Amino acid sequence: MVPFTYLEPASLDEALALLAEHGEDAKLIAGGTGLVNLMKQRLVRPDFVIGLRAIRALAGISEKDGLRIGALATIQSLEVSELVRRHAPLLAEACGHVATVRVRSMATLGGAMAHGDPNLDTPPALIAMDGQIVARTRRGERTIPVDRFFTGYFGTVLERDEIVTELLIPKQPAGSGTAFLKFLPATQDDYATVSVATRIALGADGTIREARVALGAAAMVPVRARMVEAALSGKASDEKTLGDAAPLVVDAIDPIADFRGSAEYKREMAVVHVRRALVEAAAKAKEAR
Amino acid sequence: MVKAPDTLERADNSQGVRCRMVAASLSGKAVGQPVMRVDGIAKVTGRALYAGDVDLPDLLSGRCLRSPHPSARIVSINVGKAKALPGVRSVLTGADVPDTCYGRMCKDIPVLAKGVVRFVGEKVAAVAADTVEIAEAALELIDVEYAELPAVFSAEEAMRPTAPIIHPEAVEFVPGAAASIHGELSMYPPIPNVISRLRVRHGDAASALASAHKIFEHSFAVPSVHQGYIEPHTCLVAIGRDGLVDVWVANKGPHIARTHMAAAIGVQENRIRFNPVAIGGDFGGKGSLMDTLVCYYLARAAGRPVRMVMNSFEELTAGNPRHSASITLRTAVDPDARLLAIDARVIFNAGAYGGFVPVPTLHGGYGELAGAYRVPNCAIEVLRVYTNTVPCGHMRAPGAPQVTFAVESHIDMIAHALGLDPVEMRRRNAIAEGDLTPLGEKRRHLRCRETIDAGARAFGWDKPKSPGIGRGMSTYEHPPGNFGLSTVALTIGIDGRITLTLGSPDTGTGFHTIAAQLVAEHFAVSVDEVEIAQGDTLSSGFEAGASGQRLTTTIGQAIAAAADRMKQDLAALAAERLNCAPSDIGIGADGSFSAPGAMIDRRTLMGWAAERGKAPLTCQGENTPGRHSDRTSFVAHFAEVAVDRETGQVRLRRIVTAHDVGTVVNPITHQGQIEGGLIQAVGQAMSEQIVLKDGAVITAHLGDYKLPTAMDIAELETILLPGGGGTAPFSTTAIGEMSNVALPAAITNAVFDAVGVRLVELPISAEKVLEGLRAQASAA
Amino acid sequence: MRTIKLTLNGTSVSREIEDNRLLVEFLREDMKLTGTKESCGVGVCGACTVLLDGTPISACLALAVHADGRAVTTIEGIADGDRLHPLQESFLRHGGFQCGICTPGQILAAKALLDANPHPTRAEIQHWMMGNLCRCTGYYKIIESIAAAAGAE
Ligand SMILES: Cc1cc2nc3c(=O)[nH]c(=O)nc-3n(C[C@H](O)[C@H](O)[C@H](O)COP(=O)(O)OP(=O)(O)OC[C@H]3O[C@@H](n4cnc5c(N)ncnc54)[C@H](O)[C@@H]3O)c2cc1C
Ligand code: FES
Ligand code: FES
Repeated sequence: MVPFTYLEPASLDEALALLAEHGEDAKLIAGGTGLVNLMKQRLVRPDFVIGLRAIRALAGISEKDGLRIGALATIQSLEVSELVRRHAPLLAEACGHVATVRVRSMATLGGAMAHGDPNLDTPPALIAMDGQIVARTRRGERTIPVDRFFTGYFGTVLERDEIVTELLIPKQPAGSGTAFLKFLPATQDDYATVSVATRIALGADGTIREARVALGAAAMVPVRARMVEAALSGKASDEKTLGDAAPLVVDAIDPIADFRGSAEYKREMAVVHVRRALVEAAAKAKEAR
Repeated sequence: MVKAPDTLERADNSQGVRCRMVAASLSGKAVGQPVMRVDGIAKVTGRALYAGDVDLPDLLSGRCLRSPHPSARIVSINVGKAKALPGVRSVLTGADVPDTCYGRMCKDIPVLAKGVVRFVGEKVAAVAADTVEIAEAALELIDVEYAELPAVFSAEEAMRPTAPIIHPEAVEFVPGAAASIHGELSMYPPIPNVISRLRVRHGDAASALASAHKIFEHSFAVPSVHQGYIEPHTCLVAIGRDGLVDVWVANKGPHIARTHMAAAIGVQENRIRFNPVAIGGDFGGKGSLMDTLVCYYLARAAGRPVRMVMNSFEELTAGNPRHSASITLRTAVDPDARLLAIDARVIFNAGAYGGFVPVPTLHGGYGELAGAYRVPNCAIEVLRVYTNTVPCGHMRAPGAPQVTFAVESHIDMIAHALGLDPVEMRRRNAIAEGDLTPLGEKRRHLRCRETIDAGARAFGWDKPKSPGIGRGMSTYEHPPGNFGLSTVALTIGIDGRITLTLGSPDTGTGFHTIAAQLVAEHFAVSVDEVEIAQGDTLSSGFEAGASGQRLTTTIGQAIAAAADRMKQDLAALAAERLNCAPSDIGIGADGSFSAPGAMIDRRTLMGWAAERGKAPLTCQGENTPGRHSDRTSFVAHFAEVAVDRETGQVRLRRIVTAHDVGTVVNPITHQGQIEGGLIQAVGQAMSEQIVLKDGAVITAHLGDYKLPTAMDIAELETILLPGGGGTAPFSTTAIGEMSNVALPAAITNAVFDAVGVRLVELPISAEKVLEGLRAQASAA
Repeated sequence: MRTIKLTLNGTSVSREIEDNRLLVEFLREDMKLTGTKESCGVGVCGACTVLLDGTPISACLALAVHADGRAVTTIEGIADGDRLHPLQESFLRHGGFQCGICTPGQILAAKALLDANPHPTRAEIQHWMMGNLCRCTGYYKIIESIAAAAGAE
């Protein structure tokens, strides 16, 4: 473990001040599952580690025109939260697929976003729900759609002095169904070979009013498959239509070959799982109507 | 007599995890009982002391700098800055340690690299410091300049005439271990990088192949996997003022390790004391000294005790994992699908050093090859080859999982090619009483066909199945080991309680509990009256340690010998007390001693003897080492899978495992060996693989090296054929290496049954299966 | 350096520690509670599982400062004097361990499960326990031990 000085601000303002003061030499820590691993491997060596855990403003889940989730909410608390299960079942489902109960109990949703790892399960779920990230600096606050938050491998739009404070999930469209699929061909505790989050909203006539398709572990960043979404808009929600749109996902992704699969295999699996997720989401949407 | 499995007692432990148990054949109080483990309370309360839990005053932490290159000359090492770091107590490089190399047979492992490095992860320098942090910071301050050299990673390439020679120096080896092999063994033959070449044969395979009705030839590859014990290699060394070297190490055979250490550091054996510790899993991987020698030199240089723990990155990149292997089998069959001859060529990739195993080549690479079958002509060539990759060691039934994957796939492929049911193919060729093994050995109690039949029936081999579902089977034969010396001491105290002192740790298998049960059975007492004392290497008799499923047999014999002597001594005492001849003394069911018209219990007798200075009583016992027992055992596995044709994903749904067993000493630990072994095999089949890139292990932590989890197990049913025939005391045989060997082939055979895709390489990956399906579709 | 105050196995403890101290080091080295093991060091294996305010976490990834003001339970803290916790009893009786190195973590993870869900199904046990690797047992007897303890409670 690398040496550092630990600071624990009691308020967001204090945290922002500390971050502004120490800038490049400081790292925020939430659950620590990402950062501590990097520090133990001596890959990240901050002089200061700023703990967020005492900041009450970053905790809690509330509902008003959708969900507001504090950055410090743990993945486990989201999986079991009644509010989340009711208003954002896709997120609860994705959280249930994150690693193991120990990791879920430590890791936070804010940390999962700020970490910038394209292999995580929660970013595609948030993208498929039109989620937004609220971030603050001393200069002010901004709201960033999750699908525009990630810039590259472990890269995000966050400035060095910026803190993720909240995640917003708007009220989900009426008559919508969602599905999350994490493809795990080796063991059940693993990063996805590919993961897919979808949301389908059906119109009164049963056609697709709007679709969302997002993927993890499919490129350098979590991606949204807009071509697939566009192809489905206004179409019937039968298996054939959904299946015909799925292959369009390959233009949105650029998988990295590793021992979880070759790039070509991951591309094929993205197509299969997009189709399966769409079919499942459409079925749920029909039920919801 | 073999009872039909249907008449076996069935203990249903519900919800998909079923297990059939056979009641113990003995009426004793101890053997056959599910007694609780003697180390149980310590382990469930966290009080069991493992090497990493030992604390000493002034203890330092040792860490190693490792090579980033697979093959390089060390041009220079500068440790000046590291030495100057506050808190650093000693820094060593190859120049600071003697030239002697270590090895369990081949003496080829330097304490620290001397001039060259031969794999990514080789120890180049070592630091002992006040804390791990300081030691790690010091490692970063060591400057090493390397000049890269050509490297070779595959065994086949390493044997080519143009290959770089990894060990140009003459490697010393202990001839003793080589002598026990029957066959034509050459150590360091004139083939580049070959450590050993063994040719064993029986009959005339060449002629049989030349004139055969049909010949089948297939090649297979099995990657290296890690033993996966959860406790990493850990050692502590403290050198006393009097020069006594105290060692605490996660090692399964402390006596032998002590001998090796003595030779390596030039200290007399009885000036080194290996202290007893609990072992957090072994599976064959903890037989070497690993970091103990460098730890000793660090402690000596610092004048303080040092602890070294390999972190999990080091374990996975520089431990001593299972040898990867490539295997080619050529088999001749007659028109009735009977096996006439097998010609096998097995190549084991040993990595950069051969010294992690105590033998010239892996026994399982030839010893039980096709042992379940009647094969009148057999020729096997086994090569063990150096490459610039992580050095390999032993893992549970060394060599056998690799070779058995090949044999059991091959037999299946032949059956399908001949249009024969795979079970029928195996039944037809199953070795039976009177047959010799493929290598011409005589074994008895050959229940191969019965084991297959019992498993097939429980599995429902003939029952209809849905599309996408596949079923496969595999079988394997393996006798218990009866090699190496085991010595124990039994003491009866003045209170009549019995203590067994032995020199081997319980690596987790429960063997201390088994030993207590055997002792209790001899004296017809309850296990509670028996204490197990694991001695250090100065206070316990020699014990060769856990390997080759020998302990129940060899310790069983040693205990029986000690118990016999003890009973004679006790009878003499009782005769003296009861005024009769020792031959008149009988031992009652309650452990008391009786003579015509008189009786005395053990406790009273010992009290009486103590007053006369004749108690406590201690008797030693030892085994009579041979090689393997001639009573062998069989296992038959049946696996059911579901294959997703769109993704290639294979789901393992159900396993039936049938075992031909001896007396089951403890049904809990016995079943534990079966279940644990099976899931290790599931790992090898489905997810585990040490992946190399340019010679370096890239599956370098447990996030990337995928061990099966509690979600990856399948519904399991275990069939035990009624025990018997074991050659060890109370008719026991062995179970430890029976369940982890053959299962992967049952699974790949099931994949073939499901979708017609034949996998000749492990592990199964969804991608490979999908490729196979594609190839099928384009061929059609 | 800083001082942390926590409730450790029911007793309040105050200790001076380095800022970068990991919880696993604090427990094993400073508090000499070596029942908590460290293996993978990256949050996968569960050998270092302890309960933080009743929730299972990886002590190998937790900063000791994050235990400040909270309650930590380790394997040393779950028996009631000489009376074993029902899960400890059950692991003993059903052979839920072999080498024992994963066992403290298994038992603590199982305790958190049963505290939250006293009568889990077998599938729930498997899902919850998949973060605690065991190389010896193949999991069957661990699951059996937990199911039996749940039935007995
Ligand atoms: C063994 C293991 C397995 C895992 N498996 C999975 C998996 O299967 N699926 C999955 O989705 N994830 C998985 N994860 C990843 C895990 O989800 C991330 O490590 C986690 O989400 C990071 O959250 P954290 O709160 O622990 O972040 P931390 O480690 O505290 O921080 C991570 C990064 O984010 C920054 N940060 C944290 N909070 C904020 C904030 N509020 N504002 C700005 N920056 C911030 C930190 O400075 C740091 O750079 C796994 C992790 C581990 C250790
Ligand atoms: S040691 Fe902490 S999870 Fe493995
Ligand atoms: S009992 Fe050995 S790892 Fe679980």
